[in-house]
Amino acid sequence: MTERPSDERALVLAAQGGELEAFNELVRRHQRRAYVVARAIVANHEDAEDAVQEAFLHAYRALARFLPDQAFGAWLHRIVANAALDITRRRKVRETDELPETVASPFRDPAEANELRMRLQDALAKLPARQRAVIVLHDVEGFKHAEIGSLLGIPEGTARSDLHYARSHLRQVLSSVRSEL
Amino acid sequence: MTTEHEGPQLVRDDNLTRELRAIYAAPADVAYWNALERRIVARLGADVTDEGAGLWWTVSEKWVRIGLVAAGFALIVAGSLLLRTQAQVSTMAYDSIVEPTIDAPTLAAREKLTEQQATLRALTGH
Repeated sequence: MTERPSDERALVLAAQGGELEAFNELVRRHQRRAYVVARAIVANHEDAEDAVQEAFLHAYRALARFLPDQAFGAWLHRIVANAALDITRRRKVRETDELPETVASPFRDPAEANELRMRLQDALAKLPARQRAVIVLHDVEGFKHAEIGSLLGIPEGTARSDLHYARSHLRQVLSSVRSEL
Repeated sequence: MTTEHEGPQLVRDDNLTRELRAIYAAPADVAYWNALERRIVARLGADVTDEGAGLWWTVSEKWVRIGLVAAGFALIVAGSLLLRTQAQVSTMAYDSIVEPTIDAPTLAAREKLTEQQATLRALTGH
């Protein structure tokens, strides 16, 4: 998860030296991964985009404190996760009664009509946010339990049990849909 | 189903994983990522500009240090002046207590002064 191109350190050092273009290159390299981390935590595509933008801005401002020998991606992902969790908390406070019943469709997914997928989206929306984030980060994005724990600020064991419960619940939903269809 | 090395409880359901990947697939369109990158870079650029615009009123660290040293020096000078003044005041107060008082008629007789001069000397001490 934290593999780093050999010249990334040079980019980080240049960015720390004030070269905005070097930081832009880091944005180019990491925005996709940043998006999927955010998307796993927030409820919809728009919030994921907001979280990514916020996170890059935070990262840029905090760049002087980053040690170039560390993995930039891992550091950035923690910032992204924090930004996404912030958005989730703000949404929870502001829109407790207005939460969507289903997870909004991700960008460019045309297969909304599929009954099974719609039921699964519905079930995902009803999962506790942390369990949803854990299963998406692990099963979709391939993060390890320790990395998920670090991203979400929870112990590794909690990430494991969240994954277990999320999978069990979603599997039940899948099998019940399949038996109906 | 795929059993992971992480323990017997954690059994991956390949069908579930496939569906999740479809739901959470990141946008595949390159144009989308280019547009997102432009938005992020624009925000960073605006942030840098804001910082630059804010510089005119900020004081550099060098001048802050010089100011602090000057303020410290002024404090020391003011403190020593205060101490000196207090010492002088207490000396005068001490002198006025320990110096024997001579009444005007005695002083006039001793130093052959007029009564007026002797009164003045007795009052002022000089």
